[in-house]
Amino acid sequence: MNPLLLGPLVVALISSILALIISITDRIVNDYGEVTIDINGGKKVLTVKGGSPLLGTLAFQNIFVPSACGGRGSCGACKVQVLSDVGPHLPTELPYMNPEEVARNVRLSCQVKVKQNIAIELPEALFNVRKFKTTVERLRNVTYDIKEVYLRLSDEAIAAGGISFTPGQYAQLVVPPYGDLKESIQRAYSMSSTPQDKEHIELLVRLVPGGIATTWVHQYLKEGDTVEVVGPFGEFGVRDTDAVMVFVAGGSGMAPFKSMLNHMAQTGQWTNREIWYFFGARSKRDMFYLDEMADLATRFPNFHFVPALSEPKPEDEWNGPVGLITNVLDSYFKEKISKDKPMEGYLCGSPGMIDACVKVMTANGIGQDKIYFDKFA
Amino acid sequence: MKMNFDERSAYEKMKSGVLTSTGFLGHDTRPLTDIIAADEELFKALGLDFDQVADRLQELAARGAEGLGEPITVDGLYLVKSDEARGRLPCPYGDGLYHKNSVSVERGDDRIIYSDLSLHLLRVHHFCQGQGSPFRLDPVVLKRICF
Amino acid sequence: MSPLVHPITLLFASIFTSNILLANFLGMCSFISISKDQKSSFGLGLAVTLVMTITMVVSWAVLKLVIEPLGLDYLSFIIFIIVIAAIVQILEMVIDRVSPALYMALGIFLPLITVNCAILGAILFMQIRNYNFWQTLSFGFGSGAGWWLAIMLLSSIRKKIDAAPVPAGLKGPGITIITIGFMAMAFIGFSGMLSVQ
Repeated sequence: MNPLLLGPLVVALISSILALIISITDRIVNDYGEVTIDINGGKKVLTVKGGSPLLGTLAFQNIFVPSACGGRGSCGACKVQVLSDVGPHLPTELPYMNPEEVARNVRLSCQVKVKQNIAIELPEALFNVRKFKTTVERLRNVTYDIKEVYLRLSDEAIAAGGISFTPGQYAQLVVPPYGDLKESIQRAYSMSSTPQDKEHIELLVRLVPGGIATTWVHQYLKEGDTVEVVGPFGEFGVRDTDAVMVFVAGGSGMAPFKSMLNHMAQTGQWTNREIWYFFGARSKRDMFYLDEMADLATRFPNFHFVPALSEPKPEDEWNGPVGLITNVLDSYFKEKISKDKPMEGYLCGSPGMIDACVKVMTANGIGQDKIYFDKFA
Repeated sequence: MKMNFDERSAYEKMKSGVLTSTGFLGHDTRPLTDIIAADEELFKALGLDFDQVADRLQELAARGAEGLGEPITVDGLYLVKSDEARGRLPCPYGDGLYHKNSVSVERGDDRIIYSDLSLHLLRVHHFCQGQGSPFRLDPVVLKRICF
Repeated sequence: MSPLVHPITLLFASIFTSNILLANFLGMCSFISISKDQKSSFGLGLAVTLVMTITMVVSWAVLKLVIEPLGLDYLSFIIFIIVIAAIVQILEMVIDRVSPALYMALGIFLPLITVNCAILGAILFMQIRNYNFWQTLSFGFGSGAGWWLAIMLLSSIRKKIDAAPVPAGLKGPGITIITIGFMAMAFIGFSGMLSVQ
């Protein structure tokens, strides 16, 4: 045969044979068939197609393990206790584990592939977590850097019952690719809406310089856009006792307390309990919801709202308490809040603020085990 | 110099939109090893030590944290503002998780912004971030601010 | 160029006296850059040995069954490269399935090896010297093992050098290449024992 023809023919033939071998190998090697996932000792058993990471496989079955990075192994939020043997911890998992977790075989569900039948343990609360398609009904700037995001659930979600949660819980906002962001991520925000409003979710989002999600919310999100939200998550909430409640928050930390206070106004729950809400900010431009809080204080004599500015500007004409919120808190403990009833502390803010408040609270008679917080961590 | 796998994956994570909105590289197009080598040279030429500088910045951050999110004056020289956000950021090299805090230090006309992660990158990986990154810890500016 | 060299002799020769790295200077690129880290060096050396052995044997088969009978020697370069690339791909998939931990440690290096000239170089040696099957097998395994040995030695030496006061201009690639030169000279000392090229 003419060498000009033979050469290319042979090369093409060899390449095709090798390509065929590669795709056959791929089919054989990556076909894990159907496997079962046993959750919580038989409470729920899923039959799934094997081969994918646990996180995605569960999400496909509408069980949403919290994740911030969307399964890329860079946030450490998707921890799941795996009861079966799935091999040793991968190098991509170890940076996020402490020795106790490694011993208990806690794994990152985005790194563990479901290759055979597997048994895992999930917290009960996770079964209540759903993914909601929502539309942005309203965006409102409550301060120069905090946006109130009011989302309306999709018609199907509402027909299925809407969202049910307890005041104080948070939801994960799914940020789609935009600008330089190539793959979607999720970020957590406390919900400021109340459980009575099953058809809506409201979040308070504060712009963080360089933040992927907050930049998107403040600069790209428009009313009418569709947004996915996963939730509810979190164990922050009002404990069912008669103790006096002391709330402390600043900036977007207002969200869970807005939910709790409005829930109280709408259902009458907790109205017999004494509530003190300390809200700290720098100057008047960082303050918001002053009218709403004043209104609640008028309607519910047991509710006391104490806004404090640490550095009020002269033009603010501020007549309220001045100083760092921890100092104001301390002075109120000593002068205004009676000690004859047990007290509980509820905090929402940065780890620094929380640590400082915990110190003030324990120094004023609130036990460490009676202080609850949603640490921004 | 070819980057080995660890450096390449760290470099990819430093690009904008992966871990943070602006990334750690600014508009620097040099390979990671070159950026680090050049800054190491500058440090040596200015007589700075990475651990010393990281310690000083950490100290300023701790003093600034007393402001609980508001700017406070430290030592009469610096205006330090310590902010925090929810969540943690992993190091691009995969060796740790750090709180998302943001410390801004001003002295005279100079201003730098850094976080726990920036200090870890500086101390352990000798990485000051690329030219044009708003969070770059330029050695020349560091010398003026710290000492 | 003696086709009658015993495979065992060939094995030792390819590891020591005709070390593909230190005698033939093939596979330098990843040798210099990966030897910075001992753990990576171990992983890469293992991967190279595996790939070298398997691709050598398969290429030998292709050579004897396709290229020579059809007189396509001028296409041997292209065909060998295609074979190397395909085998590396298949190996990656199989390792991932069989042992994910091994894949994590070593699979990252596999794509890197496709362009390692030592692989193609060893295959071409095999072609030029007209080895038979057993010779090919031992030459392939030996060359890979020799590469592995050389990179382990170099990474250990570099670890020691890091602690020494090397002049700034020589740091990194400079001192490494000088070291490789010394290693090559040391290995020449073996050449009196067995000679196959």
